[in-house]
Amino acid sequence: MSEQLSGPTLAGVPCDGEIAVVRAGDYVNKLSGQRIERECLLRMEGGCRALVIDFKGTELVNSIGVSILLGVIDMAEQVGARLVFSNVSRHTVKLFELLGLTRLVALAESEEAALATLKEFSPTPSGH
Amino acid sequence: MPAKTPKARRILARTAPELFVGRGEISRELAALASPKTGQQSVVLLAAPQAGLSELLRQNFDELFRQRGGATPIYFAFTRSDHATTAAARRFLQGFLTQLVAHRREDATLVAASPTLRALLDLVAPSDYEWVERLIQTFERAVGEGDERAIVRICFGAPQQAAARGVRTLVMLDDVHLVERLRGEVELGPEVAHAAVQSGTPFVLAGLRRRMLDILNGTASLVGLDSLRKIHLDKLKDADARALVEDLAQRHGVAVNDETRDLVVQQLESSPYLITALVEAAKTNNVELKSFRDFQSLYVDELMGGRVHRRFGSVLEEIAPSVTNRRSLLRVLHESASNVGGKSPVEVWMKRLGIDAVEFERVMRLLHMHELASFHATFVETTPGHVWRDFLRISYRLQVAAEPRALVVADTLVETLKRAPRTMARHYRREAALNLGDLMQRFDFDRVPASLLRYDRFARVYRGVARDEVLAGLETETDLIRLPQIVHAASCASFHPPMSQFCDEERCAVAHGFDTTSYADANEVVWIAAEVESKLEAGRALTELWLDRLEQVAHGCGFERARFWLVSREGFSADAAELLNEREAFGSCLEQLELLSARLAREEGEGARIAPADEFAIELPMGEDTELIAAHTVEQIARRMEFQPEAINQIKTALVEACINAAEHSLSTERKIYNRFRVEGDKLVITVSSRGLSVPMTVYENGAASTDRNGRDAGEGAKGRRGWGLKLIRTLMDVVEFDRVDDGTRLRMTKYLHR
Repeated sequence: MSEQLSGPTLAGVPCDGEIAVVRAGDYVNKLSGQRIERECLLRMEGGCRALVIDFKGTELVNSIGVSILLGVIDMAEQVGARLVFSNVSRHTVKLFELLGLTRLVALAESEEAALATLKEFSPTPSGH
Repeated sequence: MPAKTPKARRILARTAPELFVGRGEISRELAALASPKTGQQSVVLLAAPQAGLSELLRQNFDELFRQRGGATPIYFAFTRSDHATTAAARRFLQGFLTQLVAHRREDATLVAASPTLRALLDLVAPSDYEWVERLIQTFERAVGEGDERAIVRICFGAPQQAAARGVRTLVMLDDVHLVERLRGEVELGPEVAHAAVQSGTPFVLAGLRRRMLDILNGTASLVGLDSLRKIHLDKLKDADARALVEDLAQRHGVAVNDETRDLVVQQLESSPYLITALVEAAKTNNVELKSFRDFQSLYVDELMGGRVHRRFGSVLEEIAPSVTNRRSLLRVLHESASNVGGKSPVEVWMKRLGIDAVEFERVMRLLHMHELASFHATFVETTPGHVWRDFLRISYRLQVAAEPRALVVADTLVETLKRAPRTMARHYRREAALNLGDLMQRFDFDRVPASLLRYDRFARVYRGVARDEVLAGLETETDLIRLPQIVHAASCASFHPPMSQFCDEERCAVAHGFDTTSYADANEVVWIAAEVESKLEAGRALTELWLDRLEQVAHGCGFERARFWLVSREGFSADAAELLNEREAFGSCLEQLELLSARLAREEGEGARIAPADEFAIELPMGEDTELIAAHTVEQIARRMEFQPEAINQIKTALVEACINAAEHSLSTERKIYNRFRVEGDKLVITVSSRGLSVPMTVYENGAASTDRNGRDAGEGAKGRRGWGLKLIRTLMDVVEFDRVDDGTRLRMTKYLHR
């Protein structure tokens, strides 16, 4: 199970307490980017070690939003969390390619595919 | 039989109105001042010597006098015979009241009369009697008290008194430059200017252009004077001057042919005064103007003892009243004019003139005013026109060298006849010149196809191709050269006088400007362009010679960054074009130049267009994601243009980035972003502008994210990752450029439909 986050532009569904899905809004700019950043940080602080940022319905991402997403990628790397972007439109993929994001983060066609990827590579729980 | 229009009767004018040509625009401007709708809008009319200033004002007086219902025209000319300020002021008051009465009574004959002030009271309209009587009484009281300042103010305040009683006047003061020679405690220039600024009635303050403003300002700058409109009156245009010669000749029954008419215009430098004087002299002496010889004989006679002689002689007498000083002045003027460039050290002038410093300053001031010489820090430059030079030469030979009159006449006649073909040749060359300076003055960061400035490329692709195909080809060129914005252009000789030995003034120009939109040291550039005379393609040797010359100019003038541009009507040979490329110089033929000029004209026209039908504009407040509104707007426009979805997304993203940049970097206090979307055939041009800080392009460029060895942003945190905006825009759009604006930034982005 994934953990969903609530909020006007973001939603998360609990999933094993370790994978969180964060939904980007229709426009990823400074404000919505910071919301994504905050929610991801909260989830990682709460023990989440796998994150999906879902871009379904995202029409535009601006360069400030991209810079904040890069910060999220950095944070995830620092805490050893895995990150997948899902449902990224073709245009946004090109934008991410242009700005070097696609070299740093995995892309999945859908949220389900992202979750499957994360589960497939998730480390075996250390016995409880 | 058509009814004859009665000829308008002249009142003050000396030329029939139908012979008064070439001044329609200025006349209309002056006449408009008389309209009650204009309100109080005084003007300063700055005239070149012999430009026909007085006749212009007198013609306007007559025209306004004949029109009923408008303001009363008042014409007053200062003269050298006034001697004192109070005398000039008194004469003005008398003239003012006389012309006012004449206009009110519709009696033009009164204008020429000189009734006493008391006699005027008998003629004044009953409705004006009271204020006119009080004005005269006040004036007489001030005279009785010997209060000079009060006299001046009362006299020149008369238009204000009239206006207060509902009597509107248009006061035209002629030869205002003469007031500085009037004796008295009061500086008359500022007093006159004060009246023009404060009276509540329009004034025309007219005089010689080089002294007017100094005289009107006096020792202290007058508040309000700077706000007065300045109108410049120069010599006539050639076409108008030719018409004047023809009309005058016809009216006076003087036969003239086209060749002689053109020589008259060129030799007399299109001066209406001199042309009128010469043609009237032809009438008086009953001579024809059907050959150069006819004209030169008359010309020499005029210089030796006619109206021109008297006019120029009176100017010299004004500058140097004593015979001894006048001779000294003639000598030094003649000697200086004989020097290369007409320059002589100040010490030589002082020594030759033998006058004290105060008198020297006065002489130099008057020479400057009459445009006979210019006083620089260490030298004096004589700058008279050809007629003045001829007059000075004749006067020198007669009065200083004491040569026989017959010899001087004969020599002058022979010389002027020999010079005539050269004068005409010079005229033809000037008319045929390509005026590169004027063309460069129009450069304004335009992007033009490189083949317009590179002859070899142009010849390879377009030589022998029909003009329509050339135009179509140029439209598709992607290799564009961005022209600088030129802020000043002048002849090369004015920067580097030795160049005048190699070419006519208008064939080589120096243009200062900036090659990017930021006015910074690093962006300063000087374009030096020359027209190379060659009947065939210019060869390598000739091209090299000209490039060397232009380099010498750049070196001699200390231009750090210079671009050279040679224009040869027939283009350049292959090895010459190679040389141009080697030396990174531009080269164009006449056809390229015409195409370039047409292209600049088109862009100027586009710039001047106001909200055409295919242009959309929105104004956004900064912040609150308003860039999305711009993005959605442009999406609709792009869809209508049938851009592909991917291209539409690119346009939207680029626009969003541009809006963000404007909001982030401008520090704009009004917090607005102005977007324009223009559909131009197969392209969409988007302009995003904002007021506030002008953020240099380099800031954006330098801000572009650098990446570390892992491909990551090397900056610190999000701050280091910023500055991608322009990089993104450049990637997403086809053409991106910054327009020069004085305040803020304007980014222009173009996306082509089929690329």
